[in-house]
Amino acid sequence: MEFGTQTIQELLEGYQAKQFKPSEVIEGYLKNISERDEKLNSFLQVRPEETLANAKKLDGRMNEVNQLPLFGIPIAIKDNFLVEGWQATAGSKVLSGYVSPYTATSVQRLESMGAVIVGKVNCDEFAMGSSNENSAFGAVRNPWDLERVPGGSSGGSSAAVAAGLATVSLGTDTGGSIRQPASLCGLVGLKPTYGRVSRYGIVAYASSLDQVGPFSKTVWDSARVMEVMAGFDDRDATSSKRSVPKYTEELSSKRTFTLGVSRSWLEGVDPEVGKSFEAVLEAFKKMGGKVIDIDLPHTRYSLSTYYLIAPSEASSNLARYDGVHYGYRTPSAKSSEDLYSRSRGEGIGREVKLRIMLGTYALSAGYYDAFYLKANQVRRKIQEDFEKAFTQCDFVVSPTSPSTAFKLGEKTDDPLKMYLSDIFTLPVNLAGLPGLSVPCGLDSKNLPIGFQLIGKPFCESDLFTAAYQYEKVRGEFPLPSIAKGKG
Amino acid sequence: MSLEKYEAVIGLEVHAQLMTASKMFCRCPNQYGASPNTNVCPICTGQPGSLPVINKKAIELGVRAAIALQCEIHSESVFARKNYFYPDLPKGYQISQYERPYSTHGNIVVRLKNGDEKRIGITRIHFEEDAGKSNHESYGTLVNLNRAGVPLIEIVSEPDMRNAHEAGQYLRALHSILRYADICDGNMEEGNFRCDANISVRLRGTEKFGTKVELKNINSFKFVEKAIEYEIQRQVFAIENGEKIIQQTRSWNSGKNVTEVMREKEEAHDYRYFPEPDLPKLTISVEWLGQIRNEMPELPSQASERFKKAFELSDYDAAVLTSSKELAHYFESVVSHSKNGKASANWVMNELLGRLNAASKEIEASPVSATQIAELIKKIDSGEISGKIAKTVFEEMFATSKDASVIIKDKGFVQISDPAALENAVRKVIENNPSQLAEYKAGKVKLLGFFVGQAMKETQGQANPALLNELVKKLLDT
Amino acid sequence: MLTREEVLKIAKLARLTLTEDEIVFYQKQLTRVLGHIEDLNQVQTSKEAFVQHVPSDAIPFREDRAQPFPNHEGLMGNAPAVENGCFLLPTIVEHS
Repeated sequence: MEFGTQTIQELLEGYQAKQFKPSEVIEGYLKNISERDEKLNSFLQVRPEETLANAKKLDGRMNEVNQLPLFGIPIAIKDNFLVEGWQATAGSKVLSGYVSPYTATSVQRLESMGAVIVGKVNCDEFAMGSSNENSAFGAVRNPWDLERVPGGSSGGSSAAVAAGLATVSLGTDTGGSIRQPASLCGLVGLKPTYGRVSRYGIVAYASSLDQVGPFSKTVWDSARVMEVMAGFDDRDATSSKRSVPKYTEELSSKRTFTLGVSRSWLEGVDPEVGKSFEAVLEAFKKMGGKVIDIDLPHTRYSLSTYYLIAPSEASSNLARYDGVHYGYRTPSAKSSEDLYSRSRGEGIGREVKLRIMLGTYALSAGYYDAFYLKANQVRRKIQEDFEKAFTQCDFVVSPTSPSTAFKLGEKTDDPLKMYLSDIFTLPVNLAGLPGLSVPCGLDSKNLPIGFQLIGKPFCESDLFTAAYQYEKVRGEFPLPSIAKGKG
Repeated sequence: MSLEKYEAVIGLEVHAQLMTASKMFCRCPNQYGASPNTNVCPICTGQPGSLPVINKKAIELGVRAAIALQCEIHSESVFARKNYFYPDLPKGYQISQYERPYSTHGNIVVRLKNGDEKRIGITRIHFEEDAGKSNHESYGTLVNLNRAGVPLIEIVSEPDMRNAHEAGQYLRALHSILRYADICDGNMEEGNFRCDANISVRLRGTEKFGTKVELKNINSFKFVEKAIEYEIQRQVFAIENGEKIIQQTRSWNSGKNVTEVMREKEEAHDYRYFPEPDLPKLTISVEWLGQIRNEMPELPSQASERFKKAFELSDYDAAVLTSSKELAHYFESVVSHSKNGKASANWVMNELLGRLNAASKEIEASPVSATQIAELIKKIDSGEISGKIAKTVFEEMFATSKDASVIIKDKGFVQISDPAALENAVRKVIENNPSQLAEYKAGKVKLLGFFVGQAMKETQGQANPALLNELVKKLLDT
Repeated sequence: MLTREEVLKIAKLARLTLTEDEIVFYQKQLTRVLGHIEDLNQVQTSKEAFVQHVPSDAIPFREDRAQPFPNHEGLMGNAPAVENGCFLLPTIVEHS
C-alpha cells in the first residue's frame, strides 16, 4: 500500500480496521522522505532507526487505537522545537550540532497520544522569514512548483505535509509563519490564540507573539492535533487555564456565521487571489452566513508595529547564542567580548542580524519610548479594532497572503517587500487572536490560494466549525503531483 | 580638622538571597556548596525554548520583607529584562524589576550608639534572579551556574545615612529583620546578604550631592563601616587637596585597610530594559497579602516589646537581647527553664555575651547552652549556691562546657545553709577579733559588715549570705 | 540615513562582528526599515505604558518544590568546552 496522501482520519480508520500497522505506515513515510526530499530540502534530520523502533512499539498496542487519538500518526516537527535526543537548529548555524536536552510540552503531548516523529524540518533561521530562504541549511522548495518558495518561516513543515512526507506537522507562527506557508502549499494551518498552546520548548523568536500550531490537509486533522496539544502547561506562565474543547466533536454543529471584511485590506491583492476570496464569501453566504464590511483602521500600522516589537524581543531572546554554554563558538576569539561578537557574527545569518540590530536600536537608551513603547501602544489600538469588529461579526476574514507562492530569490534583496507577504497575518499575532488558513483554490499557475478566518480569543472551535462547513462545500482539495509519487 | 566641615551622604543597596527550596524561575534546588553545575536545568542555563515560572514562595518572602520594612506593596508590578552580556549570565539578560517594582517607600528605625533613634528611608525593593559565578584562572574563565537563578530581593535605601556608624547600624537592623522573619539566612560569607554602598561628601549645610563613589560587595558589617570611614576621609582629603572626585567603583581591601579602584566609570551601560514578555504582570491580591500578613513571624521590634512586658526589661536590655534571632531564641530558652526573666537577662547579657565577645564567638557557638545557664540560675534562686560562687562556676562552665552541678560537686562549691556549721565559723571570727567586738558592742554597728565578710571568707564564700547575716547579728548581739 | 558609526555602535551593543559588506548592507536596510516605521508617529495613542498580551487566566506561579533536572549530561554535553564541571572560556581579557 502507498502512504503519504492519507489524513489522520483515514489512517485511524485503517488502524481500527487492522488494514495496516504503524510500522508499515511509518516505513512508507520514511521511504517518501528518502525518495522525494532531495528535491524539496524540507527535512534537516531523520533518524529512521529510532523512528521505526517507536512505530514498532505501537504495533504491539493496536488494541489501544481508540484510546490514543494520534495512534501511529507520522508527524514532522519544525526544527525550532526541542525534542530530547533530536537536534534543534532553528535553521541557524549558531545552533548546528545542538542536541535537545529536553522535550517541548506540545511535542510531548502528541507523542504521548501515539504520534510518531518522522523528522525535524527546515525553517527560516530563528523563524524569521516568509520564504524559507533564510535557513542556514538551504532553501526549501514548494512541492507545487520547485522553482517557488513554500512560504515561511515554517516552510519545511508545509512542504513536508503537502508532499506526503508527513501526515501532519508542527510549526510556529509569530507573524504568519504557519498560515502563510499553509496557504502557499494548499494546507490548513492554524495559529491558535496566544496562550492556547504551551510555548515551552520552542526556540523563542518574539515571546509575546509566538504560538505553536499544526499543518494538515483537512480541518478535522487540525482539530484533532489541537485537542491533544492545547491547554494549560505549568511550565509556560503565559498559557491559559481555560479547558480545551473536544474540537472534532464540535465540527458538525449547524451554525451560521457573520463574516467581517475589511475592504481596505484588499487593495493591492493579486487579482486571482482576490477573485478566489470573493468566491469564499459567496460560499459562506450560500450556507446562510452574512458578510459585512468592517473597519480595522489601525491594522495599517501592523507592519511597523510588528517590526519594532518582534525584533526588540528577538534581540533579547537571541542574546543567549553567544558561544559560552552551547552552540557555535568561534575558533578565533581573543577576549570574551571577541568570543561573543565573533561567535554571533559568524554563527547568525543576515536577516536575523538585521532584526537583532533593529531591536537593539529600538530598545536602546533614548529610543525606547519612541519605538518599543509606542509600538506597544499602537498594538493596543490594533487589539481594540478587533474587539470592536467582533461586536458586529463572528470572524474577520481575508486572504491569507496577498499573492500565491513566489519564485526563489524574487524578494530576497528587499526585506520590506518580503515582509509584505505577511501583511494579513501580522495583525492577528499582534492582537493575540486565533487565525486559520484554509485552501480555497488554485490560480492559473496551478498554485494554491488560501483564505484566513480570524476569530475571537479562544474561539478555535468556531473557526474549525466554519472551516469544516466550507471544506464540505469546497470539496476535496487537490495535492501536488509529487505527493502521489509523481513529479 | 577639615573632616568636620564635611558631611557624608551614604545610600546602601543590599542583595538578599531568599530562603526558598528551589530557584526563582525554575525547579532546581536553591542550595549552596554543590559540585559545579549540578543544580542546573534548561531554564537556569538559558537553553533555547526554556521559560520562567515564578516561585510563589519567593514572592511571599519578598512581600514579607516589604511588610517588615514598612513598605508600600503594589498590587501590580512588572518583571523586566536587564540585557547585558557576561559569561555567568546564560540568557544574556537578567530577569529583574525596573520601572515598576513590587514595593516602595519603606523605612527602618535604627538605634545609634548615643542612644538616639534614626529613621532610614527605603526607596524600593524589587525581585531579581542571581547570576552564576565566574572564576578566572590562568588558562581561562570557569563558569558555574549553580547560583544562576537563585531568588534575590534588592533593597535600595534612601541616601539618608551620614556616617559609617549609621550605615553599619542600618545594615545590622536590616540583617536582623530579614533573619528574624525567615526571609534570608543572612550568611555574608556565602554571599547571601551582599552590600554595595554609594558614598559622596559635601560641605555641611549645602544641599547638592557630591560625586558618588560606589563600594562593591563588602562582606562583613565591620568592613562596611571601615570601608565607608576610609572612603569618607579619602574623599574629603582629595577635595581639600583640590582634587576632583571621580565617579568610580571601588572595593575594600581588608588586608591593607584601604579602598581601591575596581573600575573607572565606563561608558554608560545600556541595559535596554523592557517588560519580560514570558511573564504576566505580578499581581499580589488583597487576599494573598492578608494571608502573608497572617503568617508573618515575629519581628525584632515586636520581640523587644514582648520581652519588655513579659520580663520587665529595660529598653536597652530588650534591644540587646533581640539584636539577633538566635540570641533572642537563646534568651527565651533560658527563661523558659529558669522561670526568672530578670536574672536570665542579666546572666545572658553581662556574663555570657561579654565572654562571647571576648572570644569573638556568636551565640550559636556558645560553649554554655541555654539549659545549662538556666540550671545555674535555678541553683542561685534555690539557695544552693551564692551569686558570687555562681560566677566562679560560670567561668568554669564557659571554659569546659560542663554542667553547673558537676562543677559544684567536683569543687565542693555547695552553699552552706546549715546553721550549726555556720555558727562555728561565726564564733571563730568573733573570737579572733576581740577589739572589733568591743567597738561593736560600744555602738559601732556598721562593723556588722566586717564580721559578715570575715565569716564568709572563713567558709570560702560558700555560706548562704542571708543566713550568715542573720547568724552574725544574732551572735554579736548576745 | 543611519551613519556608519551608528551601525557600528548598535552592532557593538548587540555583540555582532560585521564584515565591511555587512556594515554597508545594514546601514542601508536599517535606514529603510526605520524610515517605514516612522508612520507610527501618525497614531494617537494613550500613555499606557504596559500592554498585557498574556491571557488574564494564566497562572505564573509554581509551588516551591525542588526537583533536580534528570538529563544533566544532555545539558553539559552541548557545552563547547568543559573543565572541572564548569563551562570553560579560553583565557580572556576581563571586560567591565
